[in-house]
Order: sequence, then C-alpha cells, then structure tokens
Amino acid sequence: MQEKIPVLEVSDLHVARSNSVVIEDANFTIHQGDYVGIVGPNGGGKTTLLLAILNILPKTRGTIRLFGQDIESFSRWEKVAYVPQHAVNFDPHFPLAVRELVSLGRVNRGNLGRPLKRKDWESVDEALEFMGISDIANRRIGQLSGGQKQRVFVAKALVRKPEIILLDEPIVGVDAGTQEKFYKKLSDLNVAKGITIMLVTHDLTAVFCRMSKVMCMNRWVNTAEITEDLKPNEVLRKAYGEHFHFVFHEHECKRVFEDE
Amino acid sequence: MNELVDVFRLFGFQFFQNALLGGTIVALACAWVGLFLILRKEAMIGDGIAHTAFGGIALGLFLGINPILTALLVSILAVLGISYMRKRGLAQSDSAIAVMLAVGFSTGLIIISLAGGFNVELFSFLFGSILTIDQTDLIIVSILGISTILILGIFYKELLSMTFDEEDARLMGIPVRLLSLTFNLLVAITIVLSIKVIGVILVVALLVLPGLSALQLNRSFKGTTLAAIGFGTVSMTTGILLSAVYNVATSGVIVFTAAGIFLFTAIYRKLE
Repeated sequence: MQEKIPVLEVSDLHVARSNSVVIEDANFTIHQGDYVGIVGPNGGGKTTLLLAILNILPKTRGTIRLFGQDIESFSRWEKVAYVPQHAVNFDPHFPLAVRELVSLGRVNRGNLGRPLKRKDWESVDEALEFMGISDIANRRIGQLSGGQKQRVFVAKALVRKPEIILLDEPIVGVDAGTQEKFYKKLSDLNVAKGITIMLVTHDLTAVFCRMSKVMCMNRWVNTAEITEDLKPNEVLRKAYGEHFHFVFHEHECKRVFEDE
Repeated sequence: MNELVDVFRLFGFQFFQNALLGGTIVALACAWVGLFLILRKEAMIGDGIAHTAFGGIALGLFLGINPILTALLVSILAVLGISYMRKRGLAQSDSAIAVMLAVGFSTGLIIISLAGGFNVELFSFLFGSILTIDQTDLIIVSILGISTILILGIFYKELLSMTFDEEDARLMGIPVRLLSLTFNLLVAITIVLSIKVIGVILVVALLVLPGLSALQLNRSFKGTTLAAIGFGTVSMTTGILLSAVYNVATSGVIVFTAAGIFLFTAIYRKLE
C-alpha cells in the first residue's frame, strides 16, 4: 500500500481571538489528496483554524507544518490557495472582468513589478475552461450570479496551481442544483488533479457523500475518515450537542453520484 | 472662424506648448492615480493633501525656494502623518485627513500673515495658472509626472490586486505595506504637480472626475483605466484651448469640461 504523504500537520494547536480561546489542543494530519469537510456550530473555530494555517492569525501554542515546513518559516505560499468567506461579497461596481480577476491569482512576490507572461494567461484560460466559465471570461464580475462567482473564485485559486485549497463556506446563498454542480467540480479537482481540499461548510450531506475526511470542530478538533462503518451521528453530536439527531438519507448520496 | 485661426496661432507660442505638454502629463497621472483612489475609497485624501500642500507653497514663497518643491516636501510629510495616525489607531482615515488639512492650511495662513499679506503668486497656486508655466516648472512636472506614470505602470497588477483584496494580496507575498506607502507618495507627487495646473481648491476634481466618468461605462479594469486617462487628457486639453481663446480661468474650464463628460457618461449609463 502506498504511503500517504502528509501535507498539513497540526499538533497541540491553541489559538485565541480577543483574549478568548477559540481553538484548544488541536491535533491532526491532512494527507495529499484528502478531501476534508470542516463542520461544527457557528463560533466553533472553523474560520480561525484556516486563518491560523495561513499564518494570518497568530497561534498561542503548538505547531503547524505545511509540506513538512513550520509555517513561521514557510515561504512556498504559491502551493496554498485560499477562498475566503467574504470573497464573493465584493463591490459589484468594481470594474473588473472575469478573466482579469482570475489573472490576479498569478500575481505574487515572484513576478513583482513584471507583467504577466503568455504562460500565465494560458493558465488563466485553462482554469476558466476547467471551471466551465470560459464563456463569461469578458463579463464584468458585478454581473455574475452566485454560482458563477464561486466558480470564478475557485478558478482564481486554481490558477496558482496550488497543491492544497482552503475554502471557507463558498456555497452560502445559492440554490441546491448550483451547490451540487460546485461540489462536483471540487471532486473533479480532487480526483483529476490530486489537489488536497479543506472545505468549511454546514452542508453535512455533501461532507458525508463526497468527502474523504470529516473534521468536527467546537474549540477542539475531531477528525475521522469517512468510511461505510463511520457513524455520522456519533461524530457530529460531540460538536453540536447530544440533543441533536442527524438524519441522512442514503438516496441523497446515491442521487449525487447518479446525476454525474 | 476667427477663434479657429487664434487656436492654430496659439500652437506656435512656447508658453502654449509648455502648457499643453505639462497639462497632458499631469492629466494622465491624475486620472490613473485618481481611479485607484476612488476604488480604494480614499478620494478625499486628494483634497486633504492639496490643502496641506498650501502650507508648503506659502513656505516656499516666504523662503524664496521653488514652491513646488516645498509643497512636495510638506505633502510627503502629510502622507506619512496620515499613515502614521491610521496605523497607530490615533485617528480613522477621514479624521486623519481632516487633521492634516487643517494643520497644513493654517500653517500657510500664519506664513502669509508673517510675510505681510496675500500676493498674486500665491493666488495663482490657489486657482492654478497652467498658461504661465515656465521651463523650470515644466522640467519638474515632466520628471515627476513621468516617474509617477512609470511606477504605476510597473506595479499596476500588484496595485490592482491590493485594491481588490488586500488580505489575498498579502497572502500572495505582495509587499502590501511598502506598495501602499509608495502609492501614497505617488498621490502626494501627483497632487503637487496638479496645483500649478489647476490650483489647490480644484485638484480633487482632476483626480476624481475622469475616473468616475470612466466607471459609468461598465468596462473591464483595462478599459476603465484607458477611458479615465482619455477623459482626463481631453478635459485638460479642451480646458487649456478654450481658456486661451476666450481668456477665461483655465482651471474652471478644465473642471467644467470634466464635469460635462461625467454628466454625459452618467446619462449613457442610465440609457444603457
């Protein structure tokens, strides 16, 4: 059996915001090719965890290693892409075409002060095509629907050719059909391109039907492989409380795959 | 017909050539810097720094140094002061601008009273006098203006990235703080250059109106930038030409033309 390569290793992680502890003693490892759903009640520390991994929020204790390197000295940030919760809430009057926005994903310290090259624009067009949005490349970003916005921001993340993508609730406020198509695209990314995905979501069905790991958070972190033997209720109740009962319909998972 | 002959005759004069060249460089820099200011929601920083620069102009006239250079120095200090107040949490952006505006303008007033009153030269800095731009001023305007345009061109994509999403730009390793400071210095330079052309009071119009008109067209960023530069240049050259022919205040005609373009683009947007 092929040994799994660790991409993200977190140990004894403690993070505080405004003097209150948000994450306490978190320990987990994410491997290359994992598709992780991060779930838990509001205020459970999901966004904080992503920000700590990105070294945007300082940790109070513990270590975070990305690709084997401590984040304090980590420099290969082009391997990491992040789609924040607020990404789609941009100013709709901002004068930017879809292709221009996606091209911003290629702007980094490595090409500071130099114009984008032809190969950068080829990557942009490739990402647009992969996400199925080539036809709206010249459309202004303020004219996009909710579903299109999500795909555009994933294309922007993808154009960096990352090895891990962190997404923070990217499907809020869109209809079920659009959500389904979005998850399908993420699955394709995970399977076809081997990109590790960590996704914060409240969509428990998507997590248990689509993903390989579930990470339950409520200050603490509990990670479990999603297998047929896994009992979702046992995992989720620890985070949401004993009085919750989660009902999963097997046909929902079946429908997800039949549609494909 | 006589006016047309007058216009052609004007092109033969050195003062008119200087005014057109200097004015075009300033219009270009203003439109480009102004578009970024609008998108960063910092348009009023232009007005604040222009008024602060008034103190620098008074100082230059009082000491007998080229006022553009002293205004530049004071404006750069004002930009650094605003950044410091914001960073240290001493004041919000608009309050920090208000503080600098008041301090700079009142310094100018004290210097004027010490010098013994208001003179014609100071008046020309308040309301602009592009038609009287001399060779030295033209050289200063050209060097600083073209440097500003070049720096904007070099860091165009980084500035766009930071303007759209600063956190993301920081994550991508773009030196956001250094580039923000550089941009603010470019704002100070552009404003000081514009003072000779349009005067302290109306600088903000030259910064904001071309960008605002371009935004009405609903184009891509590239299209909006080109439109802003086009509108700025057209306002400037039309203003210089009309004011020379009809002998009216140049700054007034430039702003009037820019405002007219804004009106037309706003109507276009409504009809679209």
